[in-house]
Amino acid sequence: MDSAPSDDTGGIPLTIFKILVAGGFGAGKTTLVGAISEVRPLRTEEALTSASVGHDDLRGVAAKNTTTVAMDFGRITMSNHLVLYLFGTPGQERFWFMWDELSYGALGAVVLADTRRLDDCFPSVDYFERRRVPFLVAINCFDGAPRYDPEDVRIALDLDPRVPVVLCDARSMTSAKEVLITLVEHVLSGRAAAGQPAAGAITSAGG
Amino acid sequence: MEPGGTWLDRDSGPVVRPYALTGGRTEPASGEVLDLVAVVVAVEPPEAAEDSEPVPLTPEHRRIMSLCRNPATVADVASDMALPLGVVRVLLADLLLTERLSVLPRRPADEQPSTALLKEVLHGLRAL
Repeated sequence: MDSAPSDDTGGIPLTIFKILVAGGFGAGKTTLVGAISEVRPLRTEEALTSASVGHDDLRGVAAKNTTTVAMDFGRITMSNHLVLYLFGTPGQERFWFMWDELSYGALGAVVLADTRRLDDCFPSVDYFERRRVPFLVAINCFDGAPRYDPEDVRIALDLDPRVPVVLCDARSMTSAKEVLITLVEHVLSGRAAAGQPAAGAITSAGG
Repeated sequence: MEPGGTWLDRDSGPVVRPYALTGGRTEPASGEVLDLVAVVVAVEPPEAAEDSEPVPLTPEHRRIMSLCRNPATVADVASDMALPLGVVRVLLADLLLTERLSVLPRRPADEQPSTALLKEVLHGLRAL
């Protein structure tokens, strides 16, 4: 058992930041989280609500009233009052009810892209743009996959010029660390540019 | 696991549906849904209170209590229990209502983090 967040914070309020790692199936979400923290599985078995009914096709499964979502998360303890949680978010649109909770108060998000299946990024990019969650696109450089210029990927995904697009190797701790550093720098620069904080700008209910 | 006519074996996980562990309850008794990264910790029970337990504790409740001897997030507890998040939230709410657990104060999720705090995250990442 690894150590848990401490309550001995010397009077400083405990801060737990969430960073989401999104992307299509097989884009390397679990690999990236695992490169920089100990990955642990998290399962939800949510009762279907109106939020999820629209995404789940219930025809022919009248008795089904829960849906299972499996994801991974990791924890990076930075100090006794600062802890970072990384959540690999389930890629499919049908899990958006889970995304609302995950993105509530999130510091930012990494959208992992596989250039062989770039279309898989669209739902995540759309989601974070609409929710105004600061994000970047990290192109996971799979062996044997064609290499693209990050600027080409930016154009293909129709990204705002301010959204960072970086190349990464999700297996490498150094690379995963660089991705997260770029994301936090992006959050900071977005805040400076807007004259107001860019992170945690979600006001809808979630968690 | 693909739905179909296959027999389930031990690797398929518990045959009991997850919410059977909560007596079929899918909502926390308090009506308040704990945040995924809310931090809970066990409260030392007063000696005398043990006799008059308003809600009998299930083995799952007891396991949560043991996991929460050190502060842990809801996500940590769910992962360690290998139970779905929704189930763990119901069980945690039982323990919070009977004051066996408490939620540690932390920076509210919807509060804007200060620039200083973000810089601290940057330093922390660089130091990894």
